[in-house]
Amino acid sequence: MIDLFLYIGLPYIAIIVAIIGCYRRAKYSKYSMTTRSSQFLEDKQLLWGSTPWHIGVIVVLLGHLIAFLLPQVWAAIVSVPWAVFVIETVGVAASILALAGLGTLIYRRVTSARIQAVTTTADLLVVALLFAQIVLGVLSATHFRYGASWSTGTVVPYLWSLLTLQPDMTYVTGFPMLFKLHLIGAWLFILLLPFTRLMHILAVPFQYIWRRPQIVIWNTARRRQQAVAATVAADSRREFLKGAVGVTGATGLLAIGVSNKALNYFKGAAADPEAESALLEKKLRRLELTAEERKYELERQRSSMILVAPYKDLDPLKGKYFIDYKMAPGLAFRGKDGLPVVISAKCTHLGCTVSSTLDENGRVMCPCHVSFFNIFTGQPEGGPAKDPLRKIDWALVDPTGKALITGVAGNKPEGTATPEELAACSLFITKPAPAAV
Amino acid sequence: MDVRAHVSVIFHLDKCIGCHTCSVACKNIWTDRPGAEYMWWNNVETKPGTGFPTRWEDQDRFNGGWKWNGKNKLEPRCQTRADSFLKLFYNPNQPNLDDYYEPFTYKYEDLFNAPQGDVQPTAIPISLITGEPMEIKAGPNWDDDLSGTPLYAENDLNLDALSEEERNMLFEVERLTMFYLPRICNHCANPTCVAACPSGAIYKRGEDGIVLINQEKCRGWRACVAACPYKKIYYNWKTGKSEKCVLCFPRLETGQAPACFHSCVGRIRYMGVMLYDADRIPDAMKVPDRALVESQRSAFLDPNDPAVIAGARANGISEEFIESAQKSPAYKYIMEWKLALPLHIEYRTMPMLFYVPPLLPVMGKTDNGTYTHDAKNFFTCLENSRLPIKYLASLFSAGNVEVVEAVMRKLMAVRHYKRWQSVRDMDENEVHKILREAKTTPEEVERIYQMTAIPTQYQRYVLPPLQREEAVESTCSPEACKGCSGFSLEPTFSPRA
Repeated sequence: MIDLFLYIGLPYIAIIVAIIGCYRRAKYSKYSMTTRSSQFLEDKQLLWGSTPWHIGVIVVLLGHLIAFLLPQVWAAIVSVPWAVFVIETVGVAASILALAGLGTLIYRRVTSARIQAVTTTADLLVVALLFAQIVLGVLSATHFRYGASWSTGTVVPYLWSLLTLQPDMTYVTGFPMLFKLHLIGAWLFILLLPFTRLMHILAVPFQYIWRRPQIVIWNTARRRQQAVAATVAADSRREFLKGAVGVTGATGLLAIGVSNKALNYFKGAAADPEAESALLEKKLRRLELTAEERKYELERQRSSMILVAPYKDLDPLKGKYFIDYKMAPGLAFRGKDGLPVVISAKCTHLGCTVSSTLDENGRVMCPCHVSFFNIFTGQPEGGPAKDPLRKIDWALVDPTGKALITGVAGNKPEGTATPEELAACSLFITKPAPAAV
Repeated sequence: MDVRAHVSVIFHLDKCIGCHTCSVACKNIWTDRPGAEYMWWNNVETKPGTGFPTRWEDQDRFNGGWKWNGKNKLEPRCQTRADSFLKLFYNPNQPNLDDYYEPFTYKYEDLFNAPQGDVQPTAIPISLITGEPMEIKAGPNWDDDLSGTPLYAENDLNLDALSEEERNMLFEVERLTMFYLPRICNHCANPTCVAACPSGAIYKRGEDGIVLINQEKCRGWRACVAACPYKKIYYNWKTGKSEKCVLCFPRLETGQAPACFHSCVGRIRYMGVMLYDADRIPDAMKVPDRALVESQRSAFLDPNDPAVIAGARANGISEEFIESAQKSPAYKYIMEWKLALPLHIEYRTMPMLFYVPPLLPVMGKTDNGTYTHDAKNFFTCLENSRLPIKYLASLFSAGNVEVVEAVMRKLMAVRHYKRWQSVRDMDENEVHKILREAKTTPEEVERIYQMTAIPTQYQRYVLPPLQREEAVESTCSPEACKGCSGFSLEPTFSPRA
């Protein structure tokens, strides 16, 4: 139970409190955001305290952060034995540097009367905790060597399990007490962040790298508007420039392309026989394909009947696609009376292929603009399509080649067949009479 | 041409009597809070002397101001963008408390609570920081009137400009001389403090050029304290924020002169609007030292020039503002008469506070123990002056002696002309010769005399109508919040929360 609190409850409480607390302090209590530097009151010991402390702790914290945020990268690095050795050495050295600096700072804080005048209880709590935390960290690192390596399989997954809201504390509950204390200490610091001077970590002035040297602020509305207008004008000038550069660039490229073509036209094609033959080869292939297609098409036009499917494959709800005499898609269903329903699948709106699945009202839908068609009548029922789907002439042919039943658009089907005969039949579409075309 | 207006200031040093009334007026309004006791936004220094903080002019140590590479690059001397981050932990250029002084008070209650005895009870001094009894070793004007003593004045950096002989002559007891130098924030047109602030908390008000620190954005990195070559930004050790002279903008916004102006006994202070060309900044400061004074003047614009007026209007400067620029005493002193000079222009911050250099210690000469000035040897007066011109040039013209001499000649010409007018003990032709050699005319002399000797309050302070600052400071009266830290805000509360 206590484990549950320390490794799952405490982290979540700390993170939530830190986020809300930091947000509130940064938004509503900006005046309290300061480093509270004491260099002014005492600057000789500070040099030997603050500088090593900050450099050491930043190196150590960055190491922790990289291991946590980029576990794959870190794992790849620590798979090299000498890299682990270097990381461990640097880490311990930086910790000792930080510890020495912190020791100086604590000594200075307790011995200087001037510094005591600006010391709060929270300050003392923070420095004491920091000292303990780093001592624990150094002891963990030296007692349980190669933490850079073993943490990738334990602490990192634990932290990610917290982050992904699937907390799993079994990664860390088995750890030695030394390390557990270090971990709990870390959560305490996150918890304390918004309530102490630690908050200055979030105030690192990165914007100084790129900001303009001078800052002028206008207070009167008139001038402010003008400043805004000036900025807008500058922006639009900048946009215009960008546009001009873009257009010039595009024109340039175009000109290069066109002049190249023009040059080739006057100069004649490139005299490289290999490239030329490759080009001809490509052209030939394309012609062959077109010829094949045309041949296939002509064959269909010549034959009086085209096979759609065996009768037994027809389904009442799921239509069978085929290509009709006009080289357009068609659909074939098995009707309620057992006879086939054969209809064009080319939507009369803009020519998309309608879907093959019937809905409960016996309709198919065109997916392009949601037109519905009744497959039995071909009539549109809702949607942008106005004209009916064309009905297609068909014939059921037995294995001997005899047409048992024929259906012509507009007429009733002619002929009869027993169910056994039907099962053996195949569905063909027949060439429409010349008058109907 | 980007015409902008700037509230500019003239201090007439011949009129300063060194009474420190200005400092006290400022202290009572602005810096009687915990953490601010040691601050003197206005202080008066004795020159030659070391000033406050001690030897603030020593830029080899404090690295304030700008560094010019002789070509096109001007960067803060104290830091580059990259190494500013390393200086966050410890700033080697920052003065510490002992460079100022440890603020103190006296244990007055001991006077009342002491038991009856044979000796008078005393009120011992205690530190305002630790509350412990302390020995007073320094104060804000510790070398006041002590020019000439080897202990203090000899450390004045401006004496480096003098030869050994000149130094010895200056410190001969008989030739002992001094003058007062009141200092407030210069509200520079090219401020290093703004450029050095990592948080971007310091800014210049566009309308009037007042440099302010946004107390909500300040994070206490202290770069400004090091960057300001005049050491006019102070770090509040209690609140962890930097503070500086605000030119009493709440007073300006209600049409009153700043407290130090208003209380000035010698009436040495003038305030008026200057129009300047913001496009010339910072290029005007990229010239060799001896040309700096003239280069700064070249950035100022004539408020009566129709082109400048049109530019000002186009930039949103109101008619009232332009009108006060035309009546500005600052423009007269700086540009028309060329009598007012900036302090340490070699720091290249374009200070907007100008000084009329003192004539009295220069002109006066002792002869067999009597104070004389001889009209016949007018120019030898300058050469044999008690205070070497080189010293003044080191302060007011980056070492350019001619600039200071021209001012001195004109100031002397005014004296001679007025003496001739009222006493008639000189030859008229000789007086007119002096005027000619000082490149001035009787009409100009009359105007200078009028503005120097008998101006009314409204001639000294031509205040433009200002909009009330829309910052948090204006919503919270400093009177009502006295005793709180910072600008009348509790450290942990915001007035909006």
